[in-house]
Amino acid sequence: MQDQWSEVDKNQHGIPRVSGGTADKSEQARVKEQKQIEQYQRLEADVILRIKSKDYSNDTFQATSQLLSQNPEYYTIWNHRRRLLQDVFAKERDRKEDADAADTEAAEREGLTSPQREISLLVKEDLHFLVPLLRQYPKCYWIWNHRSWLLGTATRLLPSHTATELWQGELGLVSKMLSLDSRNFHGWGYRREVVKEIERMSTSSMVEKEFSYTTKMVQSNLSNFSAWHYRSQLIPHLLAERQADCDARKNFLDGEFELITKALYTDPYDQSLWFYHHYLMSTLDPTNSQAPAILDPCTDAERSYYYEQELENVRDMLDGAEDCKYIYQSLLELSQQLRQLDAGNQAVIKGELTAWLSQLLKIDSLRQGRWRDLELKLKL
Amino acid sequence: MSLAAGPGRGGGGGAQGQLPDEMKVVVEKHVAYIQSLDTRREELEYHLTEHLRISGIYWGLTALHLLGHPDALPRDGVLDFLFSCLHADGGFGAAPGHDPHMLYTVSSVQILAMVDGFDELEKRMKDGKLKVAKYIAGLQQPNGTFAGDEWGETDTRFLYCALNALSLLGFLPSQQADQPPLIDVPAATAYVKACQNFDGGFGTEPGAESHSGQVFTCCGALSITGELDSYLGEEGKDRLGAWLSERQLPSGGLNGRPEKLVDVCYSWWVMSSMAMIGRLHWIDKAKLTAFILQCQDPEEGGFADRPGDMVDVFHTVFGLAGLSLLGHPGLVEVDPA
Ligand SMILES: [Zn+2]
Repeated sequence: MQDQWSEVDKNQHGIPRVSGGTADKSEQARVKEQKQIEQYQRLEADVILRIKSKDYSNDTFQATSQLLSQNPEYYTIWNHRRRLLQDVFAKERDRKEDADAADTEAAEREGLTSPQREISLLVKEDLHFLVPLLRQYPKCYWIWNHRSWLLGTATRLLPSHTATELWQGELGLVSKMLSLDSRNFHGWGYRREVVKEIERMSTSSMVEKEFSYTTKMVQSNLSNFSAWHYRSQLIPHLLAERQADCDARKNFLDGEFELITKALYTDPYDQSLWFYHHYLMSTLDPTNSQAPAILDPCTDAERSYYYEQELENVRDMLDGAEDCKYIYQSLLELSQQLRQLDAGNQAVIKGELTAWLSQLLKIDSLRQGRWRDLELKLKL
Repeated sequence: MSLAAGPGRGGGGGAQGQLPDEMKVVVEKHVAYIQSLDTRREELEYHLTEHLRISGIYWGLTALHLLGHPDALPRDGVLDFLFSCLHADGGFGAAPGHDPHMLYTVSSVQILAMVDGFDELEKRMKDGKLKVAKYIAGLQQPNGTFAGDEWGETDTRFLYCALNALSLLGFLPSQQADQPPLIDVPAATAYVKACQNFDGGFGTEPGAESHSGQVFTCCGALSITGELDSYLGEEGKDRLGAWLSERQLPSGGLNGRPEKLVDVCYSWWVMSSMAMIGRLHWIDKAKLTAFILQCQDPEEGGFADRPGDMVDVFHTVFGLAGLSLLGHPGLVEVDPA
């Protein structure tokens, strides 16, 4: 799947060009398209008329469902749908507990008043409506937004046990979405939101659970870039929560290095793995303010130790992968860090740096300008 | 994106005389393609994309400016349509009857700046510029970021949009030093900085993975507030530049994130960010130029996301802007921020 960043950049992807464009459409296709347009415009006009006359009925609600199923990008219709729901919820809340004993009883069983039960049913119904749409249009901002609005509204209007249950259900949904496309950034954003809400409502942390989730994700597929990213984000919180002392932190870092180095030996061409390796290295770099330290405190001696250890590991990866640019990049990065720390260190000699750089100039010629700049910086 | 003023490369295809055919931008065909966009009412797609109309006009108009044919869409018609999307609260919707939203408000402000139309805005709405500025400012959240509309979705795209539009309107606090500030700039920039990752890139919110689109909006935001250089420093620029340069794949095209497909629109997000931090020479410009040109439809005009795909106006403007930034002959110069 491709990356579709803005609202527009999605319908337009990967559709093969037909020469001649519309001119070549058969008469039959043209007539069919005209009919589709007319049908769509009728539906649209109907929805807009109903909204204008403040007809917040179930029929209007169903008409918005129909229109949004045909065009989930039509953000104004999502807004109308929310206004309609707000109206219905407000009426429910104003409603006197009604006489229907069966309703009241059913609500009581769930610890709700009968208006609350009605609201929770409507929310659930709408969440349900969104599932097939999300499957079909997983990158549509507006569907995710609407989902998030429904949950937020439920949190405001319903008792916390009901709201928590709804948020818990979302965790399942988003896990499923991420198993279908592990790079969907809408999905990951939604997951962060869901976790934050569950944590807030239950006043207990989910860091350990989420960390295990990333372990599971990368174990099932090492090349899971976004899962590695999420893991890197969780680590500072995880260590703080475990109240990890010096030794625990060192053990943790060793474990992570072992995990990633093993994976890299298997596939040194995998960018996701290098991403995580790069992350672990950057936690040792005090000048990188965006990478909180894992070791705390972290002495220069420890830094040197890890730089030297990784230099040795990464050097070994060259065997059989002499054309792998990531290895040379990592070696140069590690050497730079080591030389900054300890100018006289003999773990890397100048001749090696020159050789690695000339390899990069050769196999990574797209980025010649970058490697020339590095050459100047390293004063080779 | 705005057009750089002053001399330099002029528009029109004349300057391309020496180039082989496959390296030529088919200027006249792109112009005709953009002019045809509003006449495609017999296509379902035209109706299904109404929620983008005003942005579509902005992209088309920008493309025409880049092609050296700024008058190919009638100014009066554009302004009439634009004002038919204006709401009493100062926000613009995507089309008449569509709700106001940050994205379409910014597109509208960009169009007004491009066609020199702010006076018309004042004529149509009393204190129109201030009202639009207040609509945008009203979307700032307590944590500094901006929502897209009253429903509250936030994203660093909206933050950049807000700063960009306010600066075009002349309503940034720095431009109105004697007035109480409309927005909290330090809170906005603090939020942008919180979106940066260890790899030098930026995400859509704190904790999100780096993404070229978001790198562009975050660098653009910091560039508008004048903090980009001091915040990143040389180390930071090297780190971000390295991440951005890795977006180029062997085809010459650029992708949006690691392990994703190349796409013409990223030519713009990635390249303009690299230009802002002085690292544009870290990718192979000749190969990128060739890739973008392969996405051009030489028969019917327009650019697609990838070679051989259907063209659209979104990829057309970003393809042209990319080529302009690469210094391709025959196009008007563009300003990266
Ligand atoms: Zn694209």
